[in-house]
Amino acid sequence: MTDLFVDEYPEQARLVRAAFLTSFVALGIGALFGVIQALHRTGVFRIVESTTYYTVLTGHGVFLVITFTIFFLVGLYQWAVTDSLQRGPVDARLTWSWYGLMSVGTLIAAIAILAGFLDDPPDVLGSELSADVLFTFYAPLQANPIFYAGLVLFVVGTWLAGADWFRTWWAWKRDHPGERIPLPTFMVLTTMIMWYISSIGVAVAILAFILPWSLGLIDSLNPTLTRTLFWYFGHPVVYFWLLPAYLLWYIVLPKLSGGRLFSDPLARVVFILFVLLSTPVGIHHQYLDPGISEGFKFIAMTNTMFLLLPSLLTAFTVVASMEHGARQRGGTGTLNWLRALPWKDPAFTGMALAGLVFAFGGFTGIVNAGMNINYLVHNSLWVPGHIHTQVGTAVALTFMAGSYWLVPQLTGNRLVGRQIALFQVVLWFVGIVFMTNSMYRAGLIGVPRRSAEPQYAFDYEVGVGSMTELDVQLALGGVLLFVSTVLFLAIILLTAFNTDSDPLVDGTIPPALSGPEDSPRVLDDLRVWIGIALVLVVIAYAIPLASIVDRGGLFGPDVGPFPVVVDGVMYLQHGVAYVGVLIT
Amino acid sequence: MNIHAYERLWLVASMVLIVGFIVTITYGTVGLGITMVDDREETISPDDVDEDDRFQDPRVEQVGENEFEAYVVSMTFLFQPDPIEIPANNEVTFYVTSRDVIHSFTVVGTNTNTMVIPGEVSAMTVEFDEPGEYGVVCNEYCGPGHHDMEGSLIVHPEDEYSLTELSVDAPDQVGPGEDVELTISIQNGLLEDLETTVDVEVGDETLEQDVTVPGGETEQVSVTVDGDDLEPGDAEWSASVDDEVETGTVTIGDDADDGGDEP
Amino acid sequence: MRISPAKLLIVIALCLVVLVEARTILAFFDVEVSVLEIALVGVVAITALVVWAVRPADEETSEP
Repeated sequence: MTDLFVDEYPEQARLVRAAFLTSFVALGIGALFGVIQALHRTGVFRIVESTTYYTVLTGHGVFLVITFTIFFLVGLYQWAVTDSLQRGPVDARLTWSWYGLMSVGTLIAAIAILAGFLDDPPDVLGSELSADVLFTFYAPLQANPIFYAGLVLFVVGTWLAGADWFRTWWAWKRDHPGERIPLPTFMVLTTMIMWYISSIGVAVAILAFILPWSLGLIDSLNPTLTRTLFWYFGHPVVYFWLLPAYLLWYIVLPKLSGGRLFSDPLARVVFILFVLLSTPVGIHHQYLDPGISEGFKFIAMTNTMFLLLPSLLTAFTVVASMEHGARQRGGTGTLNWLRALPWKDPAFTGMALAGLVFAFGGFTGIVNAGMNINYLVHNSLWVPGHIHTQVGTAVALTFMAGSYWLVPQLTGNRLVGRQIALFQVVLWFVGIVFMTNSMYRAGLIGVPRRSAEPQYAFDYEVGVGSMTELDVQLALGGVLLFVSTVLFLAIILLTAFNTDSDPLVDGTIPPALSGPEDSPRVLDDLRVWIGIALVLVVIAYAIPLASIVDRGGLFGPDVGPFPVVVDGVMYLQHGVAYVGVLIT
Repeated sequence: MNIHAYERLWLVASMVLIVGFIVTITYGTVGLGITMVDDREETISPDDVDEDDRFQDPRVEQVGENEFEAYVVSMTFLFQPDPIEIPANNEVTFYVTSRDVIHSFTVVGTNTNTMVIPGEVSAMTVEFDEPGEYGVVCNEYCGPGHHDMEGSLIVHPEDEYSLTELSVDAPDQVGPGEDVELTISIQNGLLEDLETTVDVEVGDETLEQDVTVPGGETEQVSVTVDGDDLEPGDAEWSASVDDEVETGTVTIGDDADDGGDEP
Repeated sequence: MRISPAKLLIVIALCLVVLVEARTILAFFDVEVSVLEIALVGVVAITALVVWAVRPADEETSEP
């Protein structure tokens, strides 16, 4: 048995632990906000005002899909690069700088969001401290400038992290001329290429338009343009959450199953497909937007469908690797091998169940991608149903399961409460099915997402059962997920302090059955893929963006800001408009 | 590159599936001639909404045989007009714009659903087969009152649908024994002629008058009630055409007789 | 025990999932099952599963 990661690379282990700590703190807050929403919108129990619901919702979105996922990503990728290249970074100061930058950015954005809970938020930079704009921050809803500044710092931090890993790889390459890039590092580098290409969109949206506009430097912006730039980034960011989970499925899951990865070359192909196809699809989030022609939407639709390919290939490889592992452990039969898998290992079970839910979520994703059926489900509760099966389970549950395997190696402590950990991952699985089943069904009858009180003067035409039943099922699912999160955090916390113990974990990753030598070397030539990816992005986006700017102008057809501040003025405005309507 | 036989099979099956999806969706949109919300409308600044012919007076209009247009304005946190009334089995094109932030215009339980972005006009043509009352909601977060943003869409059976508007010119006061004359303007928004009856009530007196209003035009009808038939004091009046009703009060006699609370 | 507690837990979880989704799927075929009915089916199915699982397997009983 080799040394533990913490013994071999103590400095790196410290960084990964710090990243995971930030990630898990965000998970705790995000989960608390989640259960508050599940109980609030269903009317089961309302602890906050309905206007404050949107502060909770913004926090839930930002803390979970930005902080939790991406801090886990940088921790995991730091581990993957170090472990697979068997060396630390060229300069540890850079490593700690990006961690610091990301943390400061998160903290600033968090302050802006959490100020929404204050009765009388202070003024900062000329406007009230608030950021009730949700994580999509569609202009002309306007947050305090520090919210956007925090996001910028955070994203710059991730850029530096990518630069750090590239630098480590270049240093490794000098020492290992002619060698293939180890698979985990290959996955890290390709993910970061995708991230660089896609985060340009949000960087331009914030730096060129939204931030100066929130500071009052420009009066107006083009909401269609900032929205399109957001979704240029908004779809690939989904893969930024998902690809670390893929890394765990490809690298760790086969090992946990007792076998080896089925095919290294195909894993590389899958990651390259994500580099190429993740970005030129963002317009599929805008099927219902005016100002974008049907042709552009059609191109985004076809690209999106091809994006199914890497996920379908992953399904094959992951299941094949698991079967291989099961047969190594003595499993036989057409389906009986399933019984030979190590189900009592929470790390394995968590990832396997996450994969199962992911397959299910894939089908709902195809519905979203269908540009005609999308009209029925767009912005209905169906969409958060899809998000919670994908990032909320495929990603989050895989991360939790992966933590059960990784945290002992990072701390040198034995995992506390293995049986409870198993119960925790199974509880998550059950909770998500309860919650998302209700969300899908409610979405199909038109219940909107992102609403504090989706109860209106009219009655929904519930096909099966009743609205009360759907509400109770959603709330129950939300509570189960919250309990599951608390269990996870408790187990990790206890493990972190379980110092006088030895971990029962083997951190070695066996080589793939079909190794990289079976694949053409061009797969490792990252410049080729960057070039093709950029060409595809230009084809998919140059004309739509030009057309949007041509229609509405760079700074829009005179669209003023709309600060989201819950106070009397808002209501006065609302009230006056209302009275105006009643009179006319 | 070495690819396992099963893997190859899976790859081919995946591609078939993907192409299959694209073909069905293409058929379901382009093939069936369904136009989506797109960029066919000109941009409009939110500040100009009040000066725009379509949106200064949000309404439903008939533009051709079995063709209607609805101009809808969404703003925090309401839709105008509310309710929106349309006939069943007719093509209705909704034009929706926003005065402030991004909203949606979503008829619950149907695929009549579009984003509403300030600066843009969303246009979508639909036909409702089922008469009834539908809920309209905004399903894009638009501010702290987002969940209060609600409207309604009433789909009338085709033969019961009218776009009749009524306005009445009536005196506030007449001297004792003087006649009360109501001038009723009936505006017919439909393209067909409207043959109907005006019912007028003043105090206890009721009168009826048949009227034909040509499509798209306004007819005026004058109805006079003999002052001798009316009691002095306040008299309620009402004028109705089909479902439209206007009401008011006319004072008969001198101010002095009427409590004397005038300045 | 016929299967390990870990596997029993997972089979119960899958059972719950099948029960929740079955109602939705059956509804597509116009078969409406009420919450009470599905809950009853669930209790019976899971009890049967647990009883089956904790009963000693044949080879176990012969062990000393």
